[in-house]
Amino acid sequence: MKAVVVENLKYRYPSTERLALSGVSFEVEQGEFIGIIGKNLAGKSTLCEALVGLVPHFYKGAYGGRVVVDGVEVLSSSVSELARHIGIVFQNPFTQITAAKLTVYEEVAFGLENLGFQREEMVKRIDYALKLLGLYAYKDRNPFELSGGQMQRLAIASIIAMKPSIIVLDEPTSQLDPLGSEEVFRAVQSLSKEGITIIMVEQKMEKIAQYADKIILMNEGHLVDFGAPEEVFSRPDLESYGVEPPVFTTIAKSLGIKDNKTGLYPVTLEQVRRLMIGESHRS
Amino acid sequence: MNLIEVNNVSFAYTEGVPVLKNVTFSLNNGSVAIIGQNGSGKTTLVKLLKALLKPTSGDILINGINTKETTAAKLARTVGLVFQNPNDQIFKNKVLDEVMFGPLNIGQSMEEARENAINALETVSLVDKKEENPYDLSLSERKLVSIASILSMDTDIVILDEPTIAQDYLGKAKIRSIVHELVRRGKLVITITHDMDFVGECFQRVIVLSEGQLLLDGPAREVFSKEDVLRTANLEPPYVTQLSKTMGYQGVLLSVEEFVVYYHSSVENLERRS
Amino acid sequence: MARVLSLYVETNTFVQRLDPMVKLLYILVAVLISFIILPFRWVGAAFIVLSCLALLYARVFARVVPLLGFSFLILVSIVIIQGLFMPGNKTPAISIFGLTFYKEGLLYALTLCIRVLDVLLAFALLVLTTRPSDLIQSLVKRGLSPRFGYVLSSALQVIPQMMSQVDSIMDAQRSRGLETEGSLWVRLKAFLPLIGPVVMSSLLETRERAMALEVRGFSASGKKTFLYERESSTLDRVLQWALIVVLILSVVLRFVLV
Repeated sequence: MKAVVVENLKYRYPSTERLALSGVSFEVEQGEFIGIIGKNLAGKSTLCEALVGLVPHFYKGAYGGRVVVDGVEVLSSSVSELARHIGIVFQNPFTQITAAKLTVYEEVAFGLENLGFQREEMVKRIDYALKLLGLYAYKDRNPFELSGGQMQRLAIASIIAMKPSIIVLDEPTSQLDPLGSEEVFRAVQSLSKEGITIIMVEQKMEKIAQYADKIILMNEGHLVDFGAPEEVFSRPDLESYGVEPPVFTTIAKSLGIKDNKTGLYPVTLEQVRRLMIGESHRS
Repeated sequence: MNLIEVNNVSFAYTEGVPVLKNVTFSLNNGSVAIIGQNGSGKTTLVKLLKALLKPTSGDILINGINTKETTAAKLARTVGLVFQNPNDQIFKNKVLDEVMFGPLNIGQSMEEARENAINALETVSLVDKKEENPYDLSLSERKLVSIASILSMDTDIVILDEPTIAQDYLGKAKIRSIVHELVRRGKLVITITHDMDFVGECFQRVIVLSEGQLLLDGPAREVFSKEDVLRTANLEPPYVTQLSKTMGYQGVLLSVEEFVVYYHSSVENLERRS
Repeated sequence: MARVLSLYVETNTFVQRLDPMVKLLYILVAVLISFIILPFRWVGAAFIVLSCLALLYARVFARVVPLLGFSFLILVSIVIIQGLFMPGNKTPAISIFGLTFYKEGLLYALTLCIRVLDVLLAFALLVLTTRPSDLIQSLVKRGLSPRFGYVLSSALQVIPQMMSQVDSIMDAQRSRGLETEGSLWVRLKAFLPLIGPVVMSSLLETRERAMALEVRGFSASGKKTFLYERESSTLDRVLQWALIVVLILSVVLRFVLV
């Protein structure tokens, strides 16, 4: 079974005229790490919200096409039901804290309480999630006392405790300092290793190029491209979509350094280093 | 006389817990980036420059005036400070009114304020949205509105707190060009940022803070050459600098252009030798 | 630093561990009996002593002192006004600085003071020894709407957060030349630029938080469970029944006495 199937998805927010999503189709395999890139207002966040059912259930609006997540059709399900299959982490760590709980431990319990889990199961899942995200030592702290990076990891832990097989992250590091971002990237990698399917919107191209198996390029509500990072970042028309490739790719493009087998440009520091060393040996 | 003079400044919110320790530097026209991890005292430092806080010891002189003898509101004619979160300042129903708020406060006439506001909105490319409600715009556009609302005050000193957060490639390019434009007009631009590539491409001088102390202060190239010192402050040089370092290149390269030039010259050297 | 609107003091005695419903029942019983069923001063005084003992046992009495200090002002004015001016005053009791206090007025003032302290201390017992979240959770379990419960408990944390946001807004507006200090007119003019961003950004935050809650099953239709499902202890049940028995006894006593 595919983790995610999106077929010809169209969506318009209420009282707007423009389609926020227009004919988007793609499929994601179980366990893949997918990056979503594109300029602001390209439809990246709307796509994320459509995967978890906030579009259309939370916003209403005009909806067409089909989204199937972990075998469940989004349109005929509810956001709460979908929470068992797919979770989402947003940009702002602060507004993801429920504010109704006094400790990190209870905060993670919030979703499990809503879904009616028994206490023993809750404790097992909270312990697992807090340990996986490296937050177990903070379990008795007030959530608002955490640093930005820790708060964002708490938001991830709260989702992971509900054991979704897919997790969507919508620019989770955009409001964090470098140390906090690094914490979150490392946490996301550990989720990926656990076999969880990851779909992540990110502006830091160097990072997404390093971690993603495949990349979705969005522009004005359309899916422009869906392929390996090397393919997407090698596109000559990339900048016309308001996206800059990783700085390593930019350097390789201006030096004409390509992988001769694939004809594609390198996207990570390691790749460009290897190719440049190869070049200098040849010359 | 220097535009900004910071002499042996220390500051503590609560006694015995210093946030800044004995910091000294002076600034004139040009662009300066202040970098350092969260909690290193960057935001406290710019609040001191703006007289929102007063030093516990030491003095800060802005254009020769001691901040202890003035207020943030009075300094508004000289120092403009764009806060990190635009939602902490926007309260008007129209973008144009929001951008005119500062100029009117510092005594500009209606026409003058309007003209300056339109110019500022042109600089951030939002002039076509001047009649809209700021809260109908995206967060990154609201950030540009908050920048415009300081630019419209036409201060000699402009301080930006994390301008690139939540900006995409186009937004960042816009902010880069704003910094260049301000420097060209002879202003002093001070930026707090975590984005090292932005610093490498855009700033002449870099000040590194670590745990309240001034760790490094010098031209960007010199500061980024001290990788070991930066690492003690949990900072990394820009990606380009890292790549040139792994390639074993001599010197510190800060931008793609510099890298390309260096590469070509080194290839030529190799060819000449062989 | 995270702040919570709460007076709870964690000293972990049996008073803290009691079911919040028992403490709510205690307030009800104390007020009903000493105000309506057996409105005698000694009954009220007995409840005051009982509350004080519980507060002392819970090691939170120090926190009550400021509350008492505050109410002292009110109590003194009750004594003065009633002692001097109550319409039914007949029997002079004492004279101070040429002012005559009457026995009837003083006794009535005593009754009022006892009632004020009675209510104050019974509530203090609940508020100082109960985590707000526990109280709300036990109300939710007994049928309070979970949505309303959420609003109550989040307000306790969100309101202090909003207050600290006001500081950054003040800085941002002063940076744009807004004078926030000075005459009343200056302060009034500064009101909108300060409060506007608070309102707008809390609206934005509320929407974001609403989405974050939804994806964590906030509107799930099934039965909710609780992480800290506190079992009613024997002590809870004993005290609960004891309070009910006291209530019934007092009603019986009332009819015997009348």
